[in-house]
Amino acid sequence: MATGMVENWANVDVTGPIYPFVGSEVLLVVLGLAFWIGWHIIQMKEESSELENDVDKISQSGGIGEYLDKHS
Amino acid sequence: MGNELSSLVVIFTEFYYWLTVVLMFLIHIGFCMYEVGASRYRNHMHTLMKNTMLIPLVTVTFFFFGWWIYFAFVNGPGIIGGLVSAPWATPWSELMGAHMGGSAVQATLTADDTAYWARINGVFWAAFLLFSWTAASIVSGAVIERIRPSAFWLLAILIGSVTWIIDAAWGWSWNGWMVQILGYHDAYASGVIHAVAGGFALGVLVVLGPRIGKFAADGTPRNINPHNPWLVTIGLFLIYTGFWGFYVACNIPIIDVYGAAMLDIADKSYFSATNIYLQPTSLSAITLNFLMSLSGGLMAGYIVSKGDAFWTYSGGLAGVIGASAGNDLYHPIQAMLIAAVVVFIIYKMHFWVERRFKIDDAVGAVAVHGYAGFLGVVIAGFMLWGYPSSPFEGYATISPWGQFIGAIIMFFVLGFIPAWILSKILQARGLLRIPREIEMAGLDINTIVENEEEARVVREAIRNEA
Repeated sequence: MATGMVENWANVDVTGPIYPFVGSEVLLVVLGLAFWIGWHIIQMKEESSELENDVDKISQSGGIGEYLDKHS
Repeated sequence: MGNELSSLVVIFTEFYYWLTVVLMFLIHIGFCMYEVGASRYRNHMHTLMKNTMLIPLVTVTFFFFGWWIYFAFVNGPGIIGGLVSAPWATPWSELMGAHMGGSAVQATLTADDTAYWARINGVFWAAFLLFSWTAASIVSGAVIERIRPSAFWLLAILIGSVTWIIDAAWGWSWNGWMVQILGYHDAYASGVIHAVAGGFALGVLVVLGPRIGKFAADGTPRNINPHNPWLVTIGLFLIYTGFWGFYVACNIPIIDVYGAAMLDIADKSYFSATNIYLQPTSLSAITLNFLMSLSGGLMAGYIVSKGDAFWTYSGGLAGVIGASAGNDLYHPIQAMLIAAVVVFIIYKMHFWVERRFKIDDAVGAVAVHGYAGFLGVVIAGFMLWGYPSSPFEGYATISPWGQFIGAIIMFFVLGFIPAWILSKILQARGLLRIPREIEMAGLDINTIVENEEEARVVREAIRNEA
């Protein structure tokens, strides 16, 4: 079992890629893109929810004037 | 890598770019300090995270498509030709990973590709990437305390991994169409980083609007002073420090200027550092000009702002930016005087634009980077009029009109317009600006309330034990 194309370092002058699973690059790009776009989707949802909660918190404390008086 | 001398050139070049990346990291530390120092207490954490998270987001997108754009878009595409093949720069290329330069597995790569790019690709990619962070970070400071972080990060990706790298392909590469047709010359990125980022920041600011309280009812601007002026000035000092890395990253450290691929002069060799256009220069020349333009900018900034620390430091930065387009060729005193003139103009323009158009640029980024970069490109057109823009035959020479068109492309076409369009889209979907109450309360509202509550619990516990 070997994950990479390197069997020894005796032929390093003609060796190309040395990372494991050579040939899987397109799959890796697809996974990478999914991770990146997924991050934005999760972050945007969390941010929207946080902003809504913050607005609620301010209105429950009597509005922005009251909030600023209390937390200044 | 078969003999000591050629190996030394390759490994020296690899190490050279790696070192520039480490130095340029300081630019980003400086920007974070500067931006947090400029923000008010209730916004510190969000301000810091807004700038910090552009690092991974621009990095991964620059890996996925930014690097490929640089090589593929030199002709436009569609201006003087089509897309250019760049198999070493696609995200699925084996040369985007650890590689010893021997036989390629992927059929799209030639033996020359692997031999040349195996050791240079990663460090060259990273040097360009650090420019990308800088471009996005310049925008970040201008929009503090009211932009939604998610919106900023999309804008950061647009400038960091798309628009600036398109302008680099066009005007900051040896074969870009702007260099060929316009004779565009911008050795240390007055336009390709600073004008584009300043124009981009302005495009966002026009849509985003000012911070609440920035302008009185009659339109008079109010000063919103930095929370921590010391952090701001140390941040700017760090940006100066990182700028050394930025300057040397703009050079190719060692190359045969008479090499067959360039001038095709047989039986002669002349090894030198070159700028990105493959024109010879030296670290000594750019060191003289960097320091003299920094000095000219600091001196003018001090006088014009009447000793204001923020604008004196910013003047130093704007001075370097204003001279950068031609700092490979200027005399040091020319660099100093250009810097001084540019700083005087951009300082006046910042406050005129603020009053006239109600633009709230919290850190003066549009002026320091945008106007200074624009002016720097235009001034280089007059100062370097008639110089060759490239060692290659048939390219246009440097001219005032070529530089002026180039400055317009940088500031407006690839800066202002894309930013304005994306900002308008985000605004239409309610995703650009934070709610008004939260802006008034401060973005760190959660942290502030939680900290107060935790402090209260500890206080009560201490009181109970007393």
